Amino acid sequence: MDITNMMKQDITQRVYDAIEKAKQLQPELNAVVTFVDVEEQLKQLGGIPSDAPLYGIPVVLKDNVNTKGVLTTASSRILSNYIPVYDAAICEKLKAAGAIIIAKASMDELGMGGTNLSAYTGWVHNPYDTERISGGSSGGSAVLCAADVSPLTIGTDTGDSIRKPAAYNGVIGVKPTYGRISRYGIIPYASSLDHVGYFTTTIQDAAKALRVLAGRDDRDMTSSYEPVPDYEALLDQDIKGKRIAIIDNVQEAIQDKAIVESFNDLTQKLEQRGAQIEHVRLNDDLLSVLLPTYFIIANAEATANHSNLDGIRYGVREDGDSVEEVMINSRTKGFSANIRKRFVIGSYSLFVENQDKLFRKAQKVRRLIVNEVKAVLDQYDIILTTAAPTIAPHPQDSVDEALSDTYLIAENHMIMGNFTGYPCMTMPCGFIEGMPIGIHMMAKPFAEQMLFNIGAAIEAETGLKGITAEVKA
Amino acid sequence: MEEMNKAYFQKLARQLMFDVSDEEAEQLREEFKILNKQIALLEKIDTENTEPMIYPFEAETTFLREDQITQTISREDALKNAKAVMAGHVHVPKVVK
Repeated sequence: MDITNMMKQDITQRVYDAIEKAKQLQPELNAVVTFVDVEEQLKQLGGIPSDAPLYGIPVVLKDNVNTKGVLTTASSRILSNYIPVYDAAICEKLKAAGAIIIAKASMDELGMGGTNLSAYTGWVHNPYDTERISGGSSGGSAVLCAADVSPLTIGTDTGDSIRKPAAYNGVIGVKPTYGRISRYGIIPYASSLDHVGYFTTTIQDAAKALRVLAGRDDRDMTSSYEPVPDYEALLDQDIKGKRIAIIDNVQEAIQDKAIVESFNDLTQKLEQRGAQIEHVRLNDDLLSVLLPTYFIIANAEATANHSNLDGIRYGVREDGDSVEEVMINSRTKGFSANIRKRFVIGSYSLFVENQDKLFRKAQKVRRLIVNEVKAVLDQYDIILTTAAPTIAPHPQDSVDEALSDTYLIAENHMIMGNFTGYPCMTMPCGFIEGMPIGIHMMAKPFAEQMLFNIGAAIEAETGLKGITAEVKA
Repeated sequence: MEEMNKAYFQKLARQLMFDVSDEEAEQLREEFKILNKQIALLEKIDTENTEPMIYPFEAETTFLREDQITQTISREDALKNAKAVMAGHVHVPKVVK
């Protein structure tokens, strides 16, 4: 149910219904880490204008969003007892807009994954087929939106961590421009790539949510001063003359014929609506190094960001005879093997003798990739591609953020949205074998309105506005 | 350059203040083989005269603020998540033996 329709229901009823539904679905989906007590929040609503955009709307946060007095684990053992003493900036904004935070959602450990298989509380199941994965790292949030628990769920996106699960679960996933939404109070992964974003089931809700969440925050040094428009009021699905670029060498990497056909069918419809669709190519050599470039930068930044997780001041502390031993024992047991291995790789690329060859090199290649994308968007309003190259896989068939001998362009092209910081959105465009598939759009910096407008046209064509899953036990 | 064997990765891990098991060190050895192949691909990209990209945008969003107290948390809050607290401080094993 979208926000507009939910607003017609009794506030207390809709909030408790949402919690009840999440609880009922928990055995099947395993998407929630912590349920939040809403009683005090409902009382606080008295001080909020009743026409606030999210007045009494149940909202879910990814579990890397700091919530004062509420367990915030980032789905990692080392933070499994951590209770923040302050709220993230987006909590303040959501509460000021009348939202009621009902749950903290599961994620890949510290956001470092793309499957949600690595969550400390176990893997999250896809609501369309519980034998399949949710995708990650914002898997719990994507699933709780798709299963119609909440019309707005918050995620974060460092390397497609909102957009991939959005595609797998048939919901809209918005990763706005870098700096558009404050990251103050978000447990970081890789600071130059991290974005806050969210999931909805309609474009109108996506537009409404961004106005609530966006805006300058002095507490986040990367927060932008760009004014925040009223995206919802400016929605316009007339796409006549809009210039849409399709990247052929991304599309050629998609093997699934049904997904390709669905994409081609949609682009034809957009053309019939008056959009100008043109085909471009990006430099093949640059596309082939998307993953190692990402892997080196993300792991290096993560290693540094998580050096404060040592069990001394907060987090799970293991005993030891010295401070060093306490830290070593806490970090060894606190992080899963995969995370520790990635920290080793990240640290390796930061060694003085490797910095130029690895970390600086990756940062330089990042600039070349960004220049390549920018050159396309200098000519076009958006870049349109398939989102994920497959329907949500089974756990044993899933591909995580790991290095591979193959280039995996199809799996990793959305990383370009994190390299550039440009706004991106995935949305459902059809179903294959009962599972949702999605398309992906990227626009110029701070041109989220363009994404919403073209998204509205796509929504009208697909008829998938507000679609949610009926979970079968 | 040091040989990338089990001991090498276990030494790297110790610098990061954690341990990796023998099995994990072996997995890292395999992963580094792939990493080195990928590095070779990166090296092929001509980055002459290209500056590293540290953040997506170069527009200034930081500034020097006035040296005034803006945000504080209480001592009680600061210690809330520590496992061991003594006399208003985080308590750790004795440092000076």
